[in-house]
Amino acid sequence: MTVLDERPGLADEAPEPREAKGLLAFLVTTDHKRIGIAYMATAYAFFLIGGALAGVIRAELYSPGTQVVSQGRYNEMFTMHGSIMLFLFLGPFGFGLANYFVPLHIGARDMAFPRLNALSYWFYLFGGITMLTGFLTADGAADFGWTGYTPLSDIIRSPGVGADLWIAAIALTGLSGVLTAVNIVTTVVAMRAPGMRMFRMPIFTWNMLVTSILVLIAFPVVTSAAVMLFADRQLDAHVYDASAGGSAVLWQHLFWFFGHPEVYILVLPFFGVITEVLPVFSLRPVFGYAGLVFATIAIAALSVGVWAHHMFTTGAVLLPFFTGFSMLIAVPTGVKFFNWIGTMWGGRITLKAPMLFALGFLFTFLLGGISGVMLAAAPIDFHVHDSYFVVAHMHYVLFGGSVFALYAGIYYWFPKVTGRVLDERWGRVHFWMNLVGFHLTFFVQHILGLDGMPRRVADYLESDGFTSLNRVSSFGAALLGASTLPFLWNVWQTLRGRLGEPAGNDPWGAQTLEWVTTSPPPPHNFDELPPIRSERPKWDLDHAGVGDG
Amino acid sequence: MRYGRRVRPFPGSRRLVLLAATLAVLAGCDLPTFGAPESKSEQGDSITALWQGFFLTAIGVALLVWGLIVYVLVRYRCRRPKSGRAGGDAAEDDEPLPSQRPYNIPLEIAYTTLPVVIVAVLFGFSVATEDDVTRVDPDPAAVVEVVGFQWSWQFVYEDEDVVVTGEPGEPPELVLPVGRPSRLVLRTSDVNHAFWVPDFLSKRDLIPGVDNEIDVTPTETGEYVGRCAEFCGLDHWRMSYTVRVVPEAEYEDWLAEQQAEAAEDGVESEAAEPEEAGAS
Repeated sequence: MTVLDERPGLADEAPEPREAKGLLAFLVTTDHKRIGIAYMATAYAFFLIGGALAGVIRAELYSPGTQVVSQGRYNEMFTMHGSIMLFLFLGPFGFGLANYFVPLHIGARDMAFPRLNALSYWFYLFGGITMLTGFLTADGAADFGWTGYTPLSDIIRSPGVGADLWIAAIALTGLSGVLTAVNIVTTVVAMRAPGMRMFRMPIFTWNMLVTSILVLIAFPVVTSAAVMLFADRQLDAHVYDASAGGSAVLWQHLFWFFGHPEVYILVLPFFGVITEVLPVFSLRPVFGYAGLVFATIAIAALSVGVWAHHMFTTGAVLLPFFTGFSMLIAVPTGVKFFNWIGTMWGGRITLKAPMLFALGFLFTFLLGGISGVMLAAAPIDFHVHDSYFVVAHMHYVLFGGSVFALYAGIYYWFPKVTGRVLDERWGRVHFWMNLVGFHLTFFVQHILGLDGMPRRVADYLESDGFTSLNRVSSFGAALLGASTLPFLWNVWQTLRGRLGEPAGNDPWGAQTLEWVTTSPPPPHNFDELPPIRSERPKWDLDHAGVGDG
Repeated sequence: MRYGRRVRPFPGSRRLVLLAATLAVLAGCDLPTFGAPESKSEQGDSITALWQGFFLTAIGVALLVWGLIVYVLVRYRCRRPKSGRAGGDAAEDDEPLPSQRPYNIPLEIAYTTLPVVIVAVLFGFSVATEDDVTRVDPDPAAVVEVVGFQWSWQFVYEDEDVVVTGEPGEPPELVLPVGRPSRLVLRTSDVNHAFWVPDFLSKRDLIPGVDNEIDVTPTETGEYVGRCAEFCGLDHWRMSYTVRVVPEAEYEDWLAEQQAEAAEDGVESEAAEPEEAGAS
């Protein structure tokens, strides 16, 4: 493998070291593509673990009474489910995609800081393992919710070691995120190929740049908040202790000052994926490219001013300000929707698996966006805050939005990464199971929440009248969980060469630079770069002389 | 009934109809609650009206966007792609490429403005409702200190010397008079909790160091379930209570009854005191 920095003027390079193979190749690598694959594989493994925990949650809520896990265990389940999905799955998967595709998108040979890149992966992996080891301790894993509200997370109410491991994991993965963000920003700013001006970059790369800037704003806050919590627990610091002059609500401010940008850190990369997939399968350019870039920047800018909409019911925040700013986010998001529709408008749409998932995203995420505007209205939030309505909203955004787009990205880029196209029929089975399972699971949760079911409850009473809708939700969750089986089967069989087909450089007729090189790309990415004269260099190459239709 | 003159349709009539519809929505007249509970308090009524407005707007927006997506799919779907590739090769594709127009500035300005307008209207109604439901009456009929603890509640009627405390497995009862505002002062003695009566559509947190006060004006007598909405540890889900809304006379009777009981207990405990002193 090639890990040497290319320095201009150094004609005689050291002889290439022997290439490492198999797992060893991943252990010693600083290649952005291998690190990207490692990120995505690790994140997907965490997704399966987090999904299994969700399965336990849905099984327990299938009926009133305690059947599957005790109350205490249940609290660990939903805490770790949330923590894994938000800290260890979605964000890192986005970073994995960025690692792999940002350098390819801009015609670079690697990330700006390859060793730092490897370091941040290892921080992430061991941060994740640290969090999970909570399950091996005597008192179990952290059990105060993924938001870790004080004073519940202090040493008196949560004396277990699992809580400390959780805090350490937040700090480690936070550090990893910051390092990756520095790397991505530097790469985008400094490593673009000649001709690749900022406004010719693929929207995915634009979104990763903006996401990284958000990471740099948000992650240090949560990391330091976690360190202060640790100091409170272990060193009697009383930062969050209201009885000793501290402030319990400060944790909420700090956490959500991270937490709300975090939501956009978890969706913006996937908005980018959608914007890559839609034009290719519509045979059109991205519609309103500049509008999309400005919308992304607007979302990011607004997202650092809306944290307190998670705190409407605390009585400690200025309601109209945060209502207004939160609702304003609907504007750039709406613009994106119309741009996506404009991209398809007048095109020639082919419904391959990536496109199916992208459409599933449009269909589903819309509802998450709309319920988001409802929650931004403080009076409505007074009713549904901390109820299953919020659980439904959050999953419509992060699963119906991000995960659907993530699968669109996997089906779209799998050929580039592995050299083989995933099987189309299994892809369709996966899509429909995923779509139906998802809506069965989460749509009814809106109704449960409006009806009065609080979130994070280990149980409910027969007399509450929540039973039948919870059953629907649990059935849906089983289907949703099962939908990963055709996907994993498809990946496995395609990798073995029994399903799917060889990809060639570009199986889709794509438009961006990564499809110019071989699949998978060589260690140095490009043998030769085509001229970059628009945001679609690959399209220009394929349609040279055709004109602009 | 005779009409003096007929109303002549005029160009702005559609806008007026829209406005009237919005007002009707906000008046909440005879609209379903769209999944929200039937409100049993004045504050809840305001929130219900807002919710109905938001819900109808949401339906409109969802239908518009889904409609556009479905239209695009039906109209522009290519059922038999020439080659396996979506894009195909220009050389082997004899069909002309679809329009490659990459932007349309007037259209983009239009669809940026539309959401701004929708959001501005929603924001206006939202702030008005918010003022309405967070207002506290200068002269409440009852002032109750609501204290949350792991994992039950205590209701302290300070001026009347009445205290109701929840026991394990026995949800406490909060008694409020109907038709008049009652002040709830929300405090916690340990971790965060949240006071939520779904039938009142209102919720407020109990946080150490934060003093929260809300008014509830129940509109109907009856018994309503109250819950803790903020996760507070092991028995969080069990931390429920009952709110019993009664006519004012009955409320006074209940207070007197409680005071009498408390006095009895007081006498008993006073009687017990010397014994304890003797024992120690």
